[in-house]
Amino acid sequence: MSVEAFLSAKRGRPSEFIETAKRVVGEENVSESECDLIAYSLDYWLYAVSLSQHGKPPSLPCAVISPGDAAQIQAILRLANEHKVPITPFGGGSGVLGGAIPLEGSAVLNLQRMNRFISLDETSLVAEFEAGIIGANLERELNHRGYSMGNIPQSHFCSTLGGWIATRAVGQFSTKYGKIEDMVLGMEVVLPDGSLLDIKPVPRRSTGPSLKDLFLGSEGTLGIVTRAVVSVHPLPRSTDKQSYVFESIEVAVDVVRRVLRADARPPVVRIFDHAESERYFEEIGSKVTVIFICEGEPELVALEGAIIKRIAEDNGGQSAGEKPVDIWLEKRFDIGLGPVLMQHGGVVDTIEVISLFKDAAKLYHDMVASMQAVEGAVSVSGHYSHFYREGACLYITFVGFPKDLFPYYRDTWVAATEATLRNNGSISHHHGIGYWRMQFMEREHGASGLDLLRRIKSALDPNGILNKGKLVGDGR
Amino acid sequence: MEDSKELGLEQLTNCAMCADMCKHSCPTYLATGKETITPQKLARLILYEEKAVLEDRRGFFDVVFQSAMCGACKAHCIYGNHDLRDYILRARSKAFQEGMLPNEVRTRVETFAKFGNPRGERQLLDKGTGVVGYFISCSAYADEQLPKAMDRIVSASKEQVHHFGGADICCGAPLYYAGDVEGLRKAAEKMKAEIEKRGLERVIADCPNCLKIMTQVYPTVGVDLNVELIHTTQFLHGLLTEGRIKVSSTEATATYHDPCILVNDLGITTAPRDVLAALGFEITEPVYSRKETHCCGALPGVRIGDADVTRKVNQMRLNEVMQTGADVYVSACPTCKSVLSEADMKDITELVAERLVDE
Repeated sequence: MSVEAFLSAKRGRPSEFIETAKRVVGEENVSESECDLIAYSLDYWLYAVSLSQHGKPPSLPCAVISPGDAAQIQAILRLANEHKVPITPFGGGSGVLGGAIPLEGSAVLNLQRMNRFISLDETSLVAEFEAGIIGANLERELNHRGYSMGNIPQSHFCSTLGGWIATRAVGQFSTKYGKIEDMVLGMEVVLPDGSLLDIKPVPRRSTGPSLKDLFLGSEGTLGIVTRAVVSVHPLPRSTDKQSYVFESIEVAVDVVRRVLRADARPPVVRIFDHAESERYFEEIGSKVTVIFICEGEPELVALEGAIIKRIAEDNGGQSAGEKPVDIWLEKRFDIGLGPVLMQHGGVVDTIEVISLFKDAAKLYHDMVASMQAVEGAVSVSGHYSHFYREGACLYITFVGFPKDLFPYYRDTWVAATEATLRNNGSISHHHGIGYWRMQFMEREHGASGLDLLRRIKSALDPNGILNKGKLVGDGR
Repeated sequence: MEDSKELGLEQLTNCAMCADMCKHSCPTYLATGKETITPQKLARLILYEEKAVLEDRRGFFDVVFQSAMCGACKAHCIYGNHDLRDYILRARSKAFQEGMLPNEVRTRVETFAKFGNPRGERQLLDKGTGVVGYFISCSAYADEQLPKAMDRIVSASKEQVHHFGGADICCGAPLYYAGDVEGLRKAAEKMKAEIEKRGLERVIADCPNCLKIMTQVYPTVGVDLNVELIHTTQFLHGLLTEGRIKVSSTEATATYHDPCILVNDLGITTAPRDVLAALGFEITEPVYSRKETHCCGALPGVRIGDADVTRKVNQMRLNEVMQTGADVYVSACPTCKSVLSEADMKDITELVAERLVDE
């Protein structure tokens, strides 16, 4: 079955379920209108976005249900179990792997009415929000009060807190502030059977396996996060911006490794390869550029800045000043090229993977070469953007103008994934699995790992209600 | 309103294939949580309408009348300057031509056809002399306090200002938002005649929407008013900085609600704050202000054609503004004042008039 045919597969209208759902959330919060079904038929998986421009309504849900609180979600999930109607949770719809596409005519559970700021505890440095709040609005609420969560993904303006938790998301300032799993302290979750789980917000506890971690990355298959308590930081009083130019990826990666080994923690570190450097920084051209942003208390920032300068210059880095950092800050949310290229027959997508430092440069070269070798490839470029003491996330962007879109798209993903696995990498750093990447899950986890995840899914959701066909689905 | 022949599909498709990077700024989305009325989804639906894919066209037209037309998406566009409102207006124009306006909008248009304004029978207001005119918008006419405040300020400044409005003198904004292009053109020509009849060279508008329509929209239907047009906040700012009026100072706090059109289409954020500062107010900003401001939702059937969406947007903005707990809530648009009346909202003109002191 083709992807298009699979996406458009339908089931009959579950009339009794829909009519009862109206009584639960109010008639005005259940819709079967054509416009609403189209609006929730797709997330930001670029292959499907590309198809959507031609006027083919993608995978339509049977209905869109918009609850206003956790109690309504509980009631809807109980109802869904009773009527065996699959439910696709929908946060901001910004996921890039089809995780929010309502397969097989499932009902969409739109979580965006639940978008309030709840509270800020300045003593404990935590804040609570409803999970449907958009990242930019979350940050605005905090910034207004002198704080930041520090999680600024490229989807900052269109993704939700709940979506970040569901996909184990990561922001551009992650090297200092951490990833979403480091930021979430507690959460409220509606389980697939409709029961409510309240995970208390404490910095850590030793009370058995971490229940919180079960839902971080569960992609809406194990529960629906309705609100969360997150860690916040006072807005920084000082910022230091530096950039350096290197001749090779290998040297640049090693410099960043040394910086982290020295315990400097710049929130932003990015290594741009020759192609991306040329695209971003006209004055630098085809070299390898590394940018650093340090922020926080002035004394600490000065110290971290000095460590970075020493290590970069000792290893042959040529300072390019603050300008490349400012250019990146200006362009960092610019996703405009993709839609333009796709209108002219191209296909664009990104693949983010991770490896240990020992494999990082080799992985880059192998991935780029493997993806470039696929017929139809026009451009394959990359940058490293999220760092740990042990390794780094590699983020590859590819553009193709193939004769036939799908084989090129599929083969490029396969080439990238194979290169990642043979270089000891993991197939996703922060975009998650969704629908499209599910095909590689067994390669990533091994048969026993995938089986364990499926058994967890079956134990929590025996009727397979939540986000059917995603993450650990049937591996289509 | 752009000429529809010049509106290609490339820009619309860019919007339709964007990741919805402006949705965080969209007041109708934020107030309702409805994905369907985010800018990107609206763009996709309009694209599908252009490609004749949609079956439920009535449903589609209802959706395009759920936009607040506030321009927040344009102000936050990652492409730089895409204005989805041009495409929304084209869709609304189709709805108008095909007789598929939502009821609330149809009522406004019918009232306009009968009385020359969207509110019904009114008296003509026409007094004063000189080449400077003060156009009393429909909302200011209904409010009454605002024209009185302007009277006192003008009198104190010893300016010669010709007040005019009421009866069938209206900028035509309700027709513009209803997609009635020909109706708007006629309203523009009438406004031009009213201004010429009074020999005006400069016109002060108290409503940002009227000012936008007269300065930015009339030229698209072939009408140029050939006068200098300014907003009341600019007029007041000028009087204060030139020392032509004296005001007493307060120590109260004020929260200023930025009217969406004043910010997104007219780029005015500083003048009103300078006026408040001149009055001594300590300004307490809401979470969403200046470029991040949210539309008040306006009156039902004018910009938003769905009463439920209008009510939710009204309520959201009211909550945001009142969250500051300021002593005074103030705006610079009589429609915002009326919509946010639960906050006992004042127009900035009233605050100035209340604090006038004799020289």
